[in-house]
Amino acid sequence: MGGMVFGPGALIAVGLYLVSMIGVGWIARTRRRSNSMADFYLAGRSMGLLVLFLTLYATQYSGNTLFGYTGKTYRIGFEWTASVLFMFSIIVGYMLFAPRLVALARKEGFITPGDYITHRFRSSVLTLLSTILMIYALGNYALAQLKAMGAAVEGITDGAIPGSYGIIGLAIIMVIYETLGGMRSVAWTDVMQGGVLLLGFGILVFIIPQNLGGGLGQVVAQLSEMDPPKVQAPSLEGANKWISYALLLGCGAAIYPQAIQRLYASRSVAVLKRSLILMAFMPLTTTLVALICGLTAAVVLPDLSKAESDQVLARLCALVMGESALGYWLVVAIFAAVLAALMSTADSALLSISSMFTKDIYLPYFRPQATEAELTKVGKICSWVIVAVLVAVAIGTDATLVRLLELKFEILIQVVPCFFLGLYWKRLSARTALLGMVCGLAVALGFTFGGKPMIWGFHAGVIGLVVNAAVCAIGACCKPATSD
Amino acid sequence: MNDLQEQLVSEPRKVRYIWIVYLLLYALAVPWYWPEGYRGPLVLGFPLWVAVSLGAVLLLAAWTAFVIRRYWIDAEEEE
Repeated sequence: MGGMVFGPGALIAVGLYLVSMIGVGWIARTRRRSNSMADFYLAGRSMGLLVLFLTLYATQYSGNTLFGYTGKTYRIGFEWTASVLFMFSIIVGYMLFAPRLVALARKEGFITPGDYITHRFRSSVLTLLSTILMIYALGNYALAQLKAMGAAVEGITDGAIPGSYGIIGLAIIMVIYETLGGMRSVAWTDVMQGGVLLLGFGILVFIIPQNLGGGLGQVVAQLSEMDPPKVQAPSLEGANKWISYALLLGCGAAIYPQAIQRLYASRSVAVLKRSLILMAFMPLTTTLVALICGLTAAVVLPDLSKAESDQVLARLCALVMGESALGYWLVVAIFAAVLAALMSTADSALLSISSMFTKDIYLPYFRPQATEAELTKVGKICSWVIVAVLVAVAIGTDATLVRLLELKFEILIQVVPCFFLGLYWKRLSARTALLGMVCGLAVALGFTFGGKPMIWGFHAGVIGLVVNAAVCAIGACCKPATSD
Repeated sequence: MNDLQEQLVSEPRKVRYIWIVYLLLYALAVPWYWPEGYRGPLVLGFPLWVAVSLGAVLLLAAWTAFVIRRYWIDAEEEE
């Protein structure tokens, strides 16, 4: 973490913050209304505005927003303004399917995204493949957060606590509060975490450019002299990347299972609408702040390697810590925000994986006659098993596996036509949707492993999605689903 | 799906002009029309081309807020 080391007082404060999450989980457990899956995985479909907004926010903005985006901006400069647009595009993605999906989910009592696919297409193969793709993408997402947790803990204790212990400790805290109260625990801890995250970004935007770079104007003026390409408009291929990212995230992140389950969990449609309106403005208060921090780092800490550049936020914080006692405690708050970002994303992903395994795989294939109480119990056991597996992979991942583990959106995005088209095209049959998904996957993976992850600035996953959607369109015209 | 059509009084996806406005705002937000290597004067600390993109994102967010309020109407709310 670039020399950002905390004293005992700060470590105790961070420790208390973490332990308090188990307390929140316990309170959530006392509020449960039944032993049903809807109560455990969707908080009884009772989320109000504050909880729903902050859980959407804390889940959507991960550790990658803080570390990955500052590092990327450090390397490519203002071209990464694309991140503000693509994080906003997720809300446009919702506009394309959420109104209809939410109405259907409230009527049919869906718990998982797989419930919708089963209801719409009546194809166990399509539901199973979609569920496997979603679990794979979410597993990778949670894994990235776990790995970042290890690096964060190792950094603030100056290596006194090894990263692997940090991963194990934080994963245990997460899985305890998650199994105590399910979605209610996760959402309530997200309220704390989302609040801390907003506070952290608020602190960052005030202290980083001003204290370290003399203000944004000064930072940009200096950067214009030091490294002009970082402040200049991109090429046409660079602009294509903006479009590709907007498509990849706008479609992919909108159908993240944990995001879809939050759509299901709102108390009412009115609450959901208000939450999404607030979320539409969040990239300007969150992603933009990460961008400004990355630019400041490019001026204050030039000439870092690529690996070092992913740690620029920590390095900036180390500089702020050295300035004053106030700076020190502000950085402690920022670190709490980092943990909040990592844990809130990981716990939501874990809960979602557990629900999909239990509802879409265990129930139909292993125990079709299982009761709701049994399924909830299996879901809790499943959470511990998933955490154990992910922690083991996070600690022992071989470098050669990294590319495979980085694949998330390229794969997840191939499920998009089932939602975006399936909800509106009655003529789209299960067989066509399945064929489109397989073709899209083949194209996306073929290009990626063939050494061409980007083509003319477009991601391989987006090219795969275009093929996938084209297959669906042709199939819906030539071989429509029968009306029965 | 017929039941759903009764449940959803209005949904954004079916209103064509909403998507035309989105398309125009996206065309403004993506910096394809600036000469490569252009910076321009600073606006609120940002190079002009960045300020225009960020302004377009702000407009997109405001447009989305309007669309959600005006065109996503569920029968549940009307009750």
